[in-house]
Amino acid sequence: MKTISELTDFYYNTLYPVLQKLEEERKNIKKRIISVAILYTLIIFGVFFAILGHFNFEAFIYVGIFYVATLASIYRYLISDYTSDFKAKIIAPLIYEIDKNLNYLPKLHIPTTEFNHSQLFINRPDRVSGNDYVRGKIDDIEIAFSDFHAEKKYKDSKGRESWETIFQGLFIISDFHKEFHGRTIILPDTAQSLFGNLIGSWLQANNFSRNELIKMDNVAFEKEFVVYGTDQIEARYILTHTLMQKLLNYKKKTKHPIYVSFIGGKIYMAIEYNDDMFEPSIFHSLLEYKIAMKYVATLHLAIGIVEELKLNQKLWSKV
Amino acid sequence: MSTPLIIIIVLAIILILMYNSLVAKKNQVENIFASVDTQLKKRYDLIPNLVASVSKYMEHEKSILEDITKLRSEANKPNISDKEKINLDAKISKALGSIMIAVENYPDLKANENVMHLQRSLNEVESQIAAARRAYNQAVTDYNNALEMIPTNIMANAMGYRPKDVFVISENERQNVNVSELFAK
Repeated sequence: MKTISELTDFYYNTLYPVLQKLEEERKNIKKRIISVAILYTLIIFGVFFAILGHFNFEAFIYVGIFYVATLASIYRYLISDYTSDFKAKIIAPLIYEIDKNLNYLPKLHIPTTEFNHSQLFINRPDRVSGNDYVRGKIDDIEIAFSDFHAEKKYKDSKGRESWETIFQGLFIISDFHKEFHGRTIILPDTAQSLFGNLIGSWLQANNFSRNELIKMDNVAFEKEFVVYGTDQIEARYILTHTLMQKLLNYKKKTKHPIYVSFIGGKIYMAIEYNDDMFEPSIFHSLLEYKIAMKYVATLHLAIGIVEELKLNQKLWSKV
Repeated sequence: MSTPLIIIIVLAIILILMYNSLVAKKNQVENIFASVDTQLKKRYDLIPNLVASVSKYMEHEKSILEDITKLRSEANKPNISDKEKINLDAKISKALGSIMIAVENYPDLKANENVMHLQRSLNEVESQIAAARRAYNQAVTDYNNALEMIPTNIMANAMGYRPKDVFVISENERQNVNVSELFAK
């Protein structure tokens, strides 16, 4: 697989003419967004002061909500062409440059059934969204990932709805090279880091919504993650010392919380960015190194999982 | 209800919980040892096949092959204690390791389909055993901790529980066996 620096070269050299054109477009859109926002704000304020005194406090809140919501949809409308242009001309070539066998579907996302099947999050989502679905085979290993946003609906006593995010970030699915029958789930270790070792591990051992707690024999790994599973031995068969080390390295690279599960011959991984990845930047230049790195490094990280975790080594019983 | 009665009930509940957790820990150890045992047996079953396919070629390693056959028959005897099983396992692991290294010296053998298949099966069983051993060691550590920590140590003493041994995991076993590297040579 191509290294990050090779991909960065590709971004700045091969894609340069396209980038320049998009950069022009971006500047125009930025100007348009700012002027539309100012104009719209002035209109709203005008209306607001005209009706001041006729309405009570609650009405103002609704006006506020209406203002933010319409502004957001105006913003989305203004950038929609630019976004699809950016994805077709920048993200797609980057993905094919990493591996020709990958398919890129910018408007779709990982199926919700797969998300539920991973059992990484206990709450079932009531609403999901996402985009940038990439799937294909690398070294004969099936891999798929996309941006994913899962939310749950809550209702308070007054019947008002509110949406709470279950997960937002990158969701990756890949074949796993060892055969297993049970479930092994690895979560970020929040209890132990919040409440300390003693109370934290007691809380983990008594988590009724999860399977048996599995204590791993790697101190650094235990500090970062907590493992639940249906089979003490199988969990360790999957999580060898090598794989634990690799997951730790992977976690270090992502710099974001990661959730991993092994179910039905597959590995599921959720990286919590709390952000929509692979979206074009509007207020920063596309030529900025930091912006370029965000696209290149995130793609490299997601597709690199096969190589990073050595999922392509089919040595064992699974042939 | 009078205060002394409440105290007695609370004490009784604490004792029952302690007793149950100790029994659960002991059973967990036994349970996982049974799985270790199954995996070890799977490996023992591979030994005759391995010895048969390599003995034709290996003239200089006859003694290792004899040793391992002897160890296997010892391990298959009924009524051997867990401790003996753990000891035998360490010896067999060592002997198997040296056979695998010796195979490298015989190009014919290395290319032999049967041996290659055996090597793969052995590696598979080895990694299963390694996982089972680690699970066993964790269960034993939990059990031994309960035996030594206050207040369960008093209860464990009264129940006549004794500390158990863990498997010694050698440094090279901590690394995964890399078969592709073996074959690449």
